[in-house]
Amino acid sequence: MNNTTDSRLHALDAVRGFALLLGVAFHAALSFLPGMPPGVWFAIDNSTNQYLGDAAFVSHIFRMSLFFFIAGYFGRLLYQKLGARSFWANRLTRILVPLVAGWVILAPIISYLWISGLTKAFGGTLPPMPAMPAGFFPLGHLWFLYQLLLIYVVVIAIRSLIARMDPAQKLRGLVDRAVSGSIRTMAGTFTLGLPVAAALMSLPFWIYWMGIPTPDMTLIPQIPASVGFSTAFIFGWLVHRSSDALAAIAQRWVSNLGIAIVATGWLLHSMHLTPMAQPGLTKTVYALVFGVALWGWVLGLTGAALRFLSNYSATRRYLADASYWIYLAHLPLVVALQMWVSDWPLHWSVKFPFILVVSFALLFASYHYLVRPTFIGQLLNGRKYPRKPLPPGSSPSPASPPTADTVNGGPVAQLRGITKKFGAVTALHSIDIEVRRGELLAVLGPNGAGKSTAISLWLGLIEADSGEVTLLGGAPQDIAMRRGLGVMMQDVDLPKELKVRELVRLAASYYDDPMSVEETLKRAGIEALANRPYGKLSGGQKRQAQFAVAICGRPKVLFLDEPSVGLDVQAREALWTSVRRLLADGCSVVLTTHYLEEAEALADRITVITKGRVIASGSVNDMRALVARRQISCDSQLTLEEVRTWPGVVDAQRTQERLQITATDAEGVVRRLLAADVTLGRLEVRQAGLNEAFNELTKEAA
Amino acid sequence: MNALALKSIVAVSPVRARGSELRGYLTETQYEMTRMIRNPGVAIPVLVLPCALYALFALLIAGEAIDKDPNLGTFLFTAFSIMAVTMPALFGTGVTLALERDMGLLRLKRAQPAPPASWVVAKIASGLILAVLAYAPIVVMALATGKLSLGSGQVVALSAAFMLGTIPFCAMGLMIGSLASGTAAPAYANLIYLPGCYLSGMFFPMPASMYWQTPIWPQFHVKQLAMHLAGLTKEQYESLPMAIVAMLGFTVLFAGVTIWRLKQKG
Repeated sequence: MNNTTDSRLHALDAVRGFALLLGVAFHAALSFLPGMPPGVWFAIDNSTNQYLGDAAFVSHIFRMSLFFFIAGYFGRLLYQKLGARSFWANRLTRILVPLVAGWVILAPIISYLWISGLTKAFGGTLPPMPAMPAGFFPLGHLWFLYQLLLIYVVVIAIRSLIARMDPAQKLRGLVDRAVSGSIRTMAGTFTLGLPVAAALMSLPFWIYWMGIPTPDMTLIPQIPASVGFSTAFIFGWLVHRSSDALAAIAQRWVSNLGIAIVATGWLLHSMHLTPMAQPGLTKTVYALVFGVALWGWVLGLTGAALRFLSNYSATRRYLADASYWIYLAHLPLVVALQMWVSDWPLHWSVKFPFILVVSFALLFASYHYLVRPTFIGQLLNGRKYPRKPLPPGSSPSPASPPTADTVNGGPVAQLRGITKKFGAVTALHSIDIEVRRGELLAVLGPNGAGKSTAISLWLGLIEADSGEVTLLGGAPQDIAMRRGLGVMMQDVDLPKELKVRELVRLAASYYDDPMSVEETLKRAGIEALANRPYGKLSGGQKRQAQFAVAICGRPKVLFLDEPSVGLDVQAREALWTSVRRLLADGCSVVLTTHYLEEAEALADRITVITKGRVIASGSVNDMRALVARRQISCDSQLTLEEVRTWPGVVDAQRTQERLQITATDAEGVVRRLLAADVTLGRLEVRQAGLNEAFNELTKEAA
Repeated sequence: MNALALKSIVAVSPVRARGSELRGYLTETQYEMTRMIRNPGVAIPVLVLPCALYALFALLIAGEAIDKDPNLGTFLFTAFSIMAVTMPALFGTGVTLALERDMGLLRLKRAQPAPPASWVVAKIASGLILAVLAYAPIVVMALATGKLSLGSGQVVALSAAFMLGTIPFCAMGLMIGSLASGTAAPAYANLIYLPGCYLSGMFFPMPASMYWQTPIWPQFHVKQLAMHLAGLTKEQYESLPMAIVAMLGFTVLFAGVTIWRLKQKG
């Protein structure tokens, strides 16, 4: 079920992207229309073409209705998934913010182009401004976002009203059956156009070519647009309600497109006879056929997409994601190109493709580099279907906290039953870690295991979804507690303009009782670098300067996230010496590292995290014992098959005549080896290093 | 038992001395300023450009015209002064903040016990200091060459207004710095700032057909404030209180976006 729904969504996404990209081509064609009076569009080209005008008309019949139809479908999907509050939050960021920000940025540019276009069209002087509609506001091509927001408000209001009036779902059941029935019998194609036809008939001046008049000049809702696009939106909403409506649409794609083509042919033919609506029968018939053509296209194209584009395609996904930005940003570019080329002594068949190629190239490039990887892309497209936030308390209950070990003093920092999610990824699963006074806790684990997340919790940078974080007996967000910590983070660069001495002085100013700058530099072993700008230091020297910054406040707890990356052997030894001295002074240290010898050299205790869970915790010796395995190697004739069956043997390998055995009970295995093979030689038994222990542990957890 | 015992162990002083808090802010500001001055990419264009442009336009190109019409002198003086004070406010805060976010420095500051808003205070304070440094040569030049014929009271009032005018731009810079990456921030800052300089009518009066869009630029309101204080009635398009309210409004809007964004992303 989920799979089929997903594949349908791919198709609908593609349709929406198509409708938006089609709009770019539509606007690009507008300067090539024959007989366009000056002042209607930004530019009039010196080479025009009737076919291009007809093609633009055809696309304009359905493109916005198609968009609103899909918007209705996704609107209900989102509302069901998110609930009212999150739905509105989502819509405000995705629709209202682009509307306002886009308008503020685009309106001046478009106005400038409009004025220079008009000035050019009227031979250097601006014509008197025509009368503006009531509530004049130049929305430009962003009107569709405004219209969409209005429709959301109305439809959600109607929805709540119906939900209240129809608790037994009788009415809604009826509507669902009517929706799928109307699609299956093709009645929908003919009746859905009725409301918009009625609205168009009532217009005193209806220019056929314009289709549904664009409501881009005013904030007051216009009747034809509101009727037409709400019909499309509501129908999309109802199609999402109904379980089998999409399947019916997919089935009927041929007949719907057929109807659309016939009706559109008739429209084109009669439009060439009379471009302007005459009152009476002609107008009525034209409006009715227009409605049929519109819904023929909407349902036919959607059906074709469901039929042929349901599989996932990376290219289509990219196009669909890009289309929103491209449609928002395209107008000034397309218009500027039209104005630029309008005087060129070239045929439209050269200029029109030129405009399309240049604008799509620039728009896609801007999407790829400025939008997709940045916050604009996040804002416009976000994640496709944001997951519903989990209800609080749904995470597993925290395990009982570990008892404090009084030998080393109580815990100075604790994570108790912490669960932390980032979107769909659970970074930490109900983990317990504690750091005792005066000890060094090494946190080991592969990349992405959750080490840095754990540290960030202690530093107060992020908050846990559930569980308790304490630092020096308080909350890490409390600055009084943080005055007891020192920190050296990964992937942090200090200001390159400042000298090392200045960096230490600045950091020291945050603490109550810091060491002197000289003392700090001496402890970190970088007195020689005191007057060097940070930007001029080598990678290893930068880490040393960061270490100095971390220790300058005489911290009670020191967090070192991968401190020795990039250090040479000497610098690392110096760092270790310095850390040991801090430990001797009673400071606790939390160290994450990839270098196991570092953990072996410094750590009192080790915690191993993999995939957000603590899989082992204890002293270095505990860890070795936990994986109390020893490596036995010898020259022997025994076969692997035989040795592997022995008790206490975990694994056996052979490299040439040498036999390598991993064993839990090394003594027993050695005794048996000697008994079984009298020719056995060069026997060697080795305690597994932390490295092996660590590998074993993470392998088991994986 | 642990929590209580620990509090005494770690000797968290119950009241941190006010003096050391203040010292923290001062040190932060001092180093922020040091960084800007040592970074020629920020300091040179911001300090030299408005001053050089003012010399070019007001002294050389329009010199004689100003002698005939002192109002033109006032108009140009305010235009380049606003440019001089707003550029450091915008670029000094915005671009550096974006870079620092990329560097992870902001995350580090949040983890360190830095006073919560010290980096903001430091940025705004050094933006203001740079603004003074950029503005001073212009006002000295204008008064020395006689291209500004206003009373000393008006000059003082205007200078204060320019300093006030930096605030929305500091907020705008912080907003851009909080939204954009370090490489993109200068581009966005220019994209928003430069069109505003022209379209707000700050450098030259707009034709009436463009009036409708001038209020969306913060520069317009700073300029209006200056036009009121300079008594240039011909160039006043909105009332004095309206100009101040608009500047305040922009500040609140930009600061709001910044806070929202930093809460989200850090």
